[in-house]
Amino acid sequence: MSKSTQAVVLGAGPGGYVAAIRLAQRGVKTILVEKSRVGGVCLNRGCIPSKAFIHAAKVVEHMQHAETMGILADKPRIDLARTKAWKDSIVQRLTGGIGVLLEKAGVEVVTGRGRFEDPHTLNVQGEDGATTIRFEQAIIATGSRSLEIPPFPYDRKRIISSTEALDLEDVPKRLCVIGGGVIGLEIGMYLHRFGAEVTVVEMMDQILPGIDADIVKTLSRALKKRKIKVHLNARAEGFEDDGDGIRVKVTTDKGKTLDIPCDKVLVSVGRRPNTEDLGLDLAGVQVGERGFIPVDAQLRTSTPHIFAIGDITGGALLAHKASKEGLVAAAVIAGDDEVYDVRAMPAAVFTEPEIATVGLTEDEAVSKGHSVRVGRFPFSALGKALTCGETEGFVKIVADAEDDRILGVHIIGHAASDLISEAAVAIEAGLCAEDLALTVHPHPTMGESLMEAAEAVHGMAIHILNP
Amino acid sequence: MSFEFKLPDLGEGVAEGEIVEWKVQVGDQVEEDQPLVEVMTDKATVEIPSPSSGVVEKILAEPGAVVPVGEVLVVIGGEGAPTPAPAPREESPAPAAPEPAPAAPAVPVAPAPAKADDKVLATPATRKLARDLGIDINQVTGTGPRGRVTKDDVRLFQAPTTATPTAPAAAAAQTSPAAPLVEAGAVERIPYRGIRKKIGDQMVKSAFSAPHFTLVEEVDMTAINELRKGVKEESAQRGVKVTFLPFIMKALIAALKQHPTLNGRLDEENGEILQFSDVHIGFALDTDRGLMVPVIRNAHRRNVFELASELQRLSGAGRDGSITREELNGSTITITSAGSIGGLFATPIINYPELAILGVYRIEDRPVVIDGEIRVRKMMYLSITLDHRIIDGAEAARFMNTMKRLLGDPTRLLLEG
Repeated sequence: MSKSTQAVVLGAGPGGYVAAIRLAQRGVKTILVEKSRVGGVCLNRGCIPSKAFIHAAKVVEHMQHAETMGILADKPRIDLARTKAWKDSIVQRLTGGIGVLLEKAGVEVVTGRGRFEDPHTLNVQGEDGATTIRFEQAIIATGSRSLEIPPFPYDRKRIISSTEALDLEDVPKRLCVIGGGVIGLEIGMYLHRFGAEVTVVEMMDQILPGIDADIVKTLSRALKKRKIKVHLNARAEGFEDDGDGIRVKVTTDKGKTLDIPCDKVLVSVGRRPNTEDLGLDLAGVQVGERGFIPVDAQLRTSTPHIFAIGDITGGALLAHKASKEGLVAAAVIAGDDEVYDVRAMPAAVFTEPEIATVGLTEDEAVSKGHSVRVGRFPFSALGKALTCGETEGFVKIVADAEDDRILGVHIIGHAASDLISEAAVAIEAGLCAEDLALTVHPHPTMGESLMEAAEAVHGMAIHILNP
Repeated sequence: MSFEFKLPDLGEGVAEGEIVEWKVQVGDQVEEDQPLVEVMTDKATVEIPSPSSGVVEKILAEPGAVVPVGEVLVVIGGEGAPTPAPAPREESPAPAAPEPAPAAPAVPVAPAPAKADDKVLATPATRKLARDLGIDINQVTGTGPRGRVTKDDVRLFQAPTTATPTAPAAAAAQTSPAAPLVEAGAVERIPYRGIRKKIGDQMVKSAFSAPHFTLVEEVDMTAINELRKGVKEESAQRGVKVTFLPFIMKALIAALKQHPTLNGRLDEENGEILQFSDVHIGFALDTDRGLMVPVIRNAHRRNVFELASELQRLSGAGRDGSITREELNGSTITITSAGSIGGLFATPIINYPELAILGVYRIEDRPVVIDGEIRVRKMMYLSITLDHRIIDGAEAARFMNTMKRLLGDPTRLLLEG
């Protein structure tokens, strides 16, 4: 079968489906090609499934602490198979919803594996045969997948990636997480809350690379408090089956060797772009370092009428970054003179407690030549946090000492991921710490912490002793 | 051909800059918009991009040197320079039928609009407005607190800065080696960019936003001509050349008092019609760098001599390139006198987002019937082009009646001005 279209979008993740809907809204005839289900990793095997489990873990945490509030109940028991079924229902509802949105917007979805044949032709191999799509412009949005490392080839049962971790039906007794990044820590912490004994092995000298040092310090403390063992500067060399389970062999930077007994190994050492076998060479699309596709400010590849968005363009691997890039590429295809002009790319890490961050870390700001002023406000001084039993963490605002402009905001604590949007607006709009300080924040809310931290930038916070 | 790149105007009140660091060395090939040098002023450190492509021939200021605005910083050679990288190209849309992609002539992709530098204080919506209007927000001087660039700053920023000469013609005739010419005969391909594209974008924005209509009237300039002749000697003493234009401006200012709606703008974003009490008159100036619109600020506070001298000063500055960005911004109404070169009358394009443009044309002796007698008078066509969304034909006609009365009998200027 052959079709022709103005635009084709390859990959229906949070980058691709958003771009496709926007293109259709703009009156561009659009075909969306997806090899499995719409929603991509984010909806099916990433953000959304993990957030369902993390919320369930939060409920467990609340139940465990309920006695403090005078609520007496039995100790919670986890039936992970039912939690998974609940998670699946959420995923189904969301992907179904996106299917409807695509349909109503007038986007044609073709299921199958797409491969370029030349700069204007995409061949799609589906279950019902092949489709040839002639297109004027294209967006590549094929995303990324978990990186595999040679000593730990995935058997998908005991050596697993995040994909299998999010489909577990039993809580593993002992879990070894290789890689102390966002994914490993999120999954490791909620499985720990469900009762797993968790050990993290990280090759670098800190967990969560790129996150503000104060935040990392607080999370490290939280991990320790929860008895999650973290080995830094430690390399996982391989594993042995000892009949009873697995022993992960680790060498530390001091040359020591450790044996970590466990039942499952979650390998979360990074992700790689899905740019192989797409026929990119036939389309004239150049692939750069480590398989990522270089793009310009309009998300054009080396073949200017073919765009690339999301994880495959490198940088931060974030669903919302992919969506934003999708919107920009769609606008350019629809004829706008649009560019990717984003100053603030927020990121949320759903550990326990949550982390959210936007803009420069204090160290980054200093190394970029700013003289900085920092305002901090701890949740332990916030009424609302206390009533929630959530006193861990703080808000930290990094402002330019000269013009007071907010350069970065870093939050660890309850609702951090919801609080960060205000900070993103502030940075995107070029607001100053004073602007946040002068804005009335309702009481009693978690949001007051931002106002107080902004006051603290000038040494004028009300509810703490200013340093 | 080489050209000398002078330290451009870096914003209001900035007279000099200290060279912090050169980003290029003598002999380097530079591309248009590639950062050349970092310059520190008392306000900020700015990176100055190369106005064109070429080879760096000479660097005339060492790091640490304090250089006044207008002094030559670097000499960039155009001729013989390696050809710049081919512009990204886009193939023509594929035909509907599934056949091999045709070897259609390549069409260049327009350069992406400028992205705001991280230092620019502006909200995302303001940055988008600048992109939509084809304005490089990095060039806009912010009037808000701490130098924040507001939407109004963007809207008021109209004419492109002329401190940057256009690329040498040699470089302009580039064609991509990847795109063989398929047309018979020679075709010169001139990149549509820089000032030409800015002018073009501005014209498109105006023509497709404001429904234009033009009203033409014939005015008797005999009396003004007499008046002008009468002050010739005095003008010479004052060192100003008093042309017809200052008188026409004087009449325009007086007419705007009676028809204030013409001295305004439409703020589409906020759904408001702005009406200004001050009159800042822009006048279209033809220069070898392209069309520009210098602005006579507070024209309503100037007498004819003052208008004439400002007109003279700005025209000179516009032609020799010393005009500043501020002097090209913020007009409330515009006059075009291109018609004095030729043509009976024209239908100009409004200097968007203004609402009106006055067209002034050649003055010549024509027979006119006055009191039943044919007389020879100094006659001129005068046109007003208006944004019909805001101003209707009747008001246009009334405005032109006023203009006709004021110009025909300049003593009325005393009474009504």
